[in-house]
Amino acid sequence: MQYLEPLCIIKFMSGRETNPNFMNGVPELLILRLLQQEEMYGYEIVQAIRSRTDAVIAVGEGVVYPVLHGLERDGALKSRRKTVNGRSRIYYSVTRAGSRRLADLSKDWSNLTGAIQKMLMGGQHAQVIA
Amino acid sequence: MLKSSHELVNWSEFRERLLRAGVAPRHVRRYIKELADHLADLRTEEEREGRSPADTESAALMGLGSMDDLARAMTDRREFQSWCAQAPWAMFGLAPILFLGGAWCIALLILWSGWNIFLPGGDTPFVPIDGFAVFYFGVGRLLYFVAPVLVGWEIGLLAARQRLKALWPAVGLVLIAVMGGTAQLHASRTAVPTGLGHISMDFAVGPSVHGSLFHALVIFSVAALPYFIWKFQKARFFSA
Repeated sequence: MQYLEPLCIIKFMSGRETNPNFMNGVPELLILRLLQQEEMYGYEIVQAIRSRTDAVIAVGEGVVYPVLHGLERDGALKSRRKTVNGRSRIYYSVTRAGSRRLADLSKDWSNLTGAIQKMLMGGQHAQVIA
Repeated sequence: MLKSSHELVNWSEFRERLLRAGVAPRHVRRYIKELADHLADLRTEEEREGRSPADTESAALMGLGSMDDLARAMTDRREFQSWCAQAPWAMFGLAPILFLGGAWCIALLILWSGWNIFLPGGDTPFVPIDGFAVFYFGVGRLLYFVAPVLVGWEIGLLAARQRLKALWPAVGLVLIAVMGGTAQLHASRTAVPTGLGHISMDFAVGPSVHGSLFHALVIFSVAALPYFIWKFQKARFFSA
């Protein structure tokens, strides 16, 4: 996850940048999740993240490639060149190691969001009591 | 009329920036290829939405991200740094010595085996020969004398590909030149009549200091020439 820290590559569409530490691992999680369903090239990945999160999350377009290359280097993704409509593209897909990583990340993220949700609900409850 | 991707973004400058920051050439090549493709896709998308060429170009560039962000995304990650950038002492200090040592070991093996095959019982392999032996010993001799120059060219190539400053390549080239200039070969037969010949190698200045220095200088000049020509041309290109 460490290599997702230095760049605020995720922005909410309001334009407000998120705390990079807080968003650790999110691009990785989204990318692995997308690629688990089908192989895609960089541009498709960026567009898919935007459309499937209803444009709430926009990944910095160009900087998605170092994330992809890093995941491939770690063995979580594999790539292959494919010529589509006369243009050579690099398509990425998830490996077995990538699937395991996705499962771990999903679990971590679910725990985190569950905990936050609990806090938020607890906050509301406290207000009601007050 | 829309500009091409290469007119829109100065990829050469971007490439230079990444290479100078130590990103490995193979990562730079692939990153730029993917970014150029991405930019083309963004422009196609913008065109489809009916924007003017100027708006299309600016929107596509904005979508891709600033050159600073794109460069930082790559240069901040250590795993994309080349060995030349991460450990120049190993690439230009240690590796040339190992490669040169390896090449010389092969050359000495050829000499020793040729001595035993073509000159059995001879006191030295350094005698006039003929026939296939000329070719056999010739290969070993060629390897012995050419190895420092080849290793030097490899140093220059690595340094040029990574756009390194001249310091580390110069260290490597001087090392190679000194090794090449001071290397001395010795061959002797053991006292046992049927014993095998013995070949050894050491580094010494002499018998003539001037001879060793001259030899080292020749090796340095021949090995460093392509690199310094490249550096000169590059400097001229960027100053033009």
